[in-house]
Amino acid sequence: MSLEKQWQHINEQEDEDLSALMNNPQLKKLTSHQPLQKIKNNLLINMAWGIGIAVCYVLILFFFPYWQVRLCIGIVLLFTLWAISTAYTQYKSIQPTVSSQNSLLAEMKRHHASMIIWMKTQERVALFIYPFSTAGGFMLGGAIGSGRSVDYFMSKPVVQIALVISIAILVPLAYWFAKWLFNKSFGKHLKTLGENIQELSSDEV
Amino acid sequence: MSERDFLAAVKNNQGIIYKLVGLYAADTEEKKDLYQEVLLQAWKSWPSFRGDAKFSTWLYRICLNTILTQQRKQKKINYQERLDDISPTIESTAILKEDSLRLQQAIRRLAETDRAIISSHLDGYNNGEIAEMMGIGLNHVAVKLHRIKQQITTILK
Repeated sequence: MSLEKQWQHINEQEDEDLSALMNNPQLKKLTSHQPLQKIKNNLLINMAWGIGIAVCYVLILFFFPYWQVRLCIGIVLLFTLWAISTAYTQYKSIQPTVSSQNSLLAEMKRHHASMIIWMKTQERVALFIYPFSTAGGFMLGGAIGSGRSVDYFMSKPVVQIALVISIAILVPLAYWFAKWLFNKSFGKHLKTLGENIQELSSDEV
Repeated sequence: MSERDFLAAVKNNQGIIYKLVGLYAADTEEKKDLYQEVLLQAWKSWPSFRGDAKFSTWLYRICLNTILTQQRKQKKINYQERLDDISPTIESTAILKEDSLRLQQAIRRLAETDRAIISSHLDGYNNGEIAEMMGIGLNHVAVKLHRIKQQITTILK
């Protein structure tokens, strides 16, 4: 029997698991689990948090009259605003609906590229924001905890060394955490997508 | 076209979804998830359907593009139990069903993109149409199909 005939026979068979769904489809109740949709939802949450955090930074700028803290928080605020605007641009550019116009290869490449861009942004945010927020938080916490001014608190060499060590430990940690989180969520999927893209693109004759 | 018309059109072509989802889902739960995702993506893309292609071809593309960009379970597909379910009441039907299942299982053992190529070939799409669907060259399709058929023959032996 030909392969085509065997294959056509599958068409004639009912799938019990899926027939029940087909007989009662509720399109309005369906939610997408596409990775790009998840990323889009994530970006929305990031923006909401970013705005909340930016408001807190503005409050700190107003209520804590230490220039060192203000400088660090001011820089973090700028990076936070940059992160929010980047998230917004990405949010607008990500098209989670699968295209029927694109070929399979083009569609897989589009998904792969969008995910990589998102990952890189997360890593960049970790690299640029955390050094300043660590420094700001360290000085602010130290000043409040010791009940002295930041100038006084930071004048001790041991505190300066502690600040450098904190940054040296926390920044790579935050960077690797962002990377780990992404790999945990989408690593395997990204790898499969990459392999499939490679599989289709390779051996071009 | 209304939601009802859309669902009627999908129902007439549901075999496409059943077959393709069946080639990639690791278990029943994932099969249902993939099916619902395909249905949702087709519904969302529905406004872009211009009618210059057949509905079945349009749905085929949506199906493949959705399944292969969806986050799926990494575990191996366990299909052995399905073969045991075959009832040999009517022998010829049982043989045909068994052959079909064997073919489906053989295809499942191929690389993911190869499954997409061979299923569209077996569904009657010519090399040009497959090349367009996959986004690769015509010669590449021919070479791949040749290799895939060899692989299937080896698996089925």
